[in-house]
Amino acid sequence: MANAWYLIIGNPVLNVLIALSHLLGGEFGWAIIVLTIIIRLISWPLTKRQLKSTKAMQEMQPKIQELQKKYGKNQQKLQQEMMRLYKEAGVNPLGCLWPMLIQFPIWIALYQAIMRALATTPENLLDLAQRLYSWDVVSQAIPLSSYFLGLDLASPGNIILAILVGGTMWVQQKMTQAPAVDPRQESTSRMMLLMMPLMFGFLTFMFPSGLALYWAVSNIIGIVTQYFVTGGWGYLKFSSPFQRTSVKGR
Amino acid sequence: MGSTLYLRQRMKKPRILFLVVIALLPLMLISCGLFGGGSVSGGWAGTTFGNGIIYTGTRDGRVVAINASTRSQQWDYIINAAIYTTPIVDGDLVYVGTYSGRLLALNTLARSQNLTFPQKGDGEWEWDCPTDNAKSNAIVANLAMSENALYVASSNGRIYSLDKGTGDENWKREDIPVLAEKLWTSPVIQGDALYVSTFEGHIYALSVETGELLDWSFGSEAGFASSPVIDGDVIYVGSFDRHLYAVEIGDEELIWRFPQEKPAGNWYWASPIVNAGVVYAGCLDGKLYAINGTTGEEIWSYMTKDQQDKRSPIVSSPVLMGNLLIVANEAGTVYVFDVTAENGNEGVPLKTISIDADVKSSFCAYDGLVYVRSEGDSVYAVDIDKGGAAEGWPISLTTEE
Repeated sequence: MANAWYLIIGNPVLNVLIALSHLLGGEFGWAIIVLTIIIRLISWPLTKRQLKSTKAMQEMQPKIQELQKKYGKNQQKLQQEMMRLYKEAGVNPLGCLWPMLIQFPIWIALYQAIMRALATTPENLLDLAQRLYSWDVVSQAIPLSSYFLGLDLASPGNIILAILVGGTMWVQQKMTQAPAVDPRQESTSRMMLLMMPLMFGFLTFMFPSGLALYWAVSNIIGIVTQYFVTGGWGYLKFSSPFQRTSVKGR
Repeated sequence: MGSTLYLRQRMKKPRILFLVVIALLPLMLISCGLFGGGSVSGGWAGTTFGNGIIYTGTRDGRVVAINASTRSQQWDYIINAAIYTTPIVDGDLVYVGTYSGRLLALNTLARSQNLTFPQKGDGEWEWDCPTDNAKSNAIVANLAMSENALYVASSNGRIYSLDKGTGDENWKREDIPVLAEKLWTSPVIQGDALYVSTFEGHIYALSVETGELLDWSFGSEAGFASSPVIDGDVIYVGSFDRHLYAVEIGDEELIWRFPQEKPAGNWYWASPIVNAGVVYAGCLDGKLYAINGTTGEEIWSYMTKDQQDKRSPIVSSPVLMGNLLIVANEAGTVYVFDVTAENGNEGVPLKTISIDADVKSSFCAYDGLVYVRSEGDSVYAVDIDKGGAAEGWPISLTTEE
């Protein structure tokens, strides 16, 4: 299984990253940024479907809120009605999970690629030799410098990067998270909105900065894409207390 | 993000959602661990032979002395850090550098008696390599030794000269450009100069006395993967561009680059050795190459294999024992070639001996035996005449729980 992993995902990501680094003047950080853009472009069909689905679900919010008011005491009926509503609108809520799931192997591959390409230990460097393609552009790039804009991409991230990762993730989530009517859902909503950014901010201190750079850039691309596809800042504009009151008052 | 809307509406209790999110953290950590790629620094100290004793370092961070005739462990000294350098023996002292940036002079007698370290009266000392604002002070490269001094290349990008008797710093050179602060190739002494190859693609010459950079240096577009080897006034060094370079000291143009056309299958990681004008270079593509030292033309090449008949990289440098050239690949197959003129041009091994253990460390040969430390921390004595493991070997270096 490990061999198949490296053949299909691990080694291609590693070699593309190194080749990009050479083409971008030996800057590994730029290679990560360009690779992030490439990954976002490749996953664009899925992202587009996800965003459309998100938009559709946002538009369905008034109807869902009506259902919640109507069947609030009968959870089973509420679920049935919600599923019927999704079906009528042609929305598969769980289908939206695919882009998130696809990210997971990319994170692992990227983590491995960063650790191997930057060869923090002699063993890593020796291991790298067995994973490189015989492309001139790859062999000319080795060994790589791990420094980029004052960051050591092979070492765990710093507080600024953690804030950037957590902050951009919060903005991206906030743009799509509709305010809840039910207080219990509001609590869940708040926790969800905070937990993911906090967790990834925390992960920034545990994983190499290169991976955190990928998360930050990926989030920023996500924010920009959402802005243009869903037509604006979405629910981010309701974040101020005044605006929250106005929403509840609607 | 539509999914979060859905999930939020589905979740009955925030606690469940909390658990789902928290579960992502260990899942990711475990996945990264399962699929590999993390930092591993176990060390690959080679073996060295002196006064009937074999010295090496173990993966659990000990320097070990083994009596070759009794096949018993004479002593060990716990360092608790990875050891990449092969110990150097000079009289009663054994010098070893560690991944934690320490350099130790161990007296064999004091260590046999398990006395407190350092026994200054016995010539023992310890030197801590400064980090000097670098990321690491690890000592990965083998030490170089002259009559009075030791020369240390550190991962902090600096080269140090230390007094062999006291460990006092004679000089340090700190303006050598080092890519990514990795100075992992070993310095080599030739005459009054110390030669250093760098990942950044240069060979520098320093005065052994003062550390001053000498007038000559050589630059290449690709970084150098191996430590240099000097024969006469020619330096042979392996490059990350999958070529072996021959450079004349004092000349800025290279003499030759091997292979001359298409690059080899991988890096020349191990230092080559030179005998009677022939350069023997092991490559990570699994081949041993015999190259004409003057012209850079291939005399022969031999593909080494593992037990499944698949190619296996050559990580450690070959050694010479009389007219015999000994090379071991990573899979633990030891090949013996006769390098005399009448037999050496064919590239056909006289013997092939498998020790069935991974080998990344350099090894030494003495009195018909080749001492190899495996990655599993066992020392094998390969009897070249017999064509197999010597009786009573291997010796496990692992400590029993």
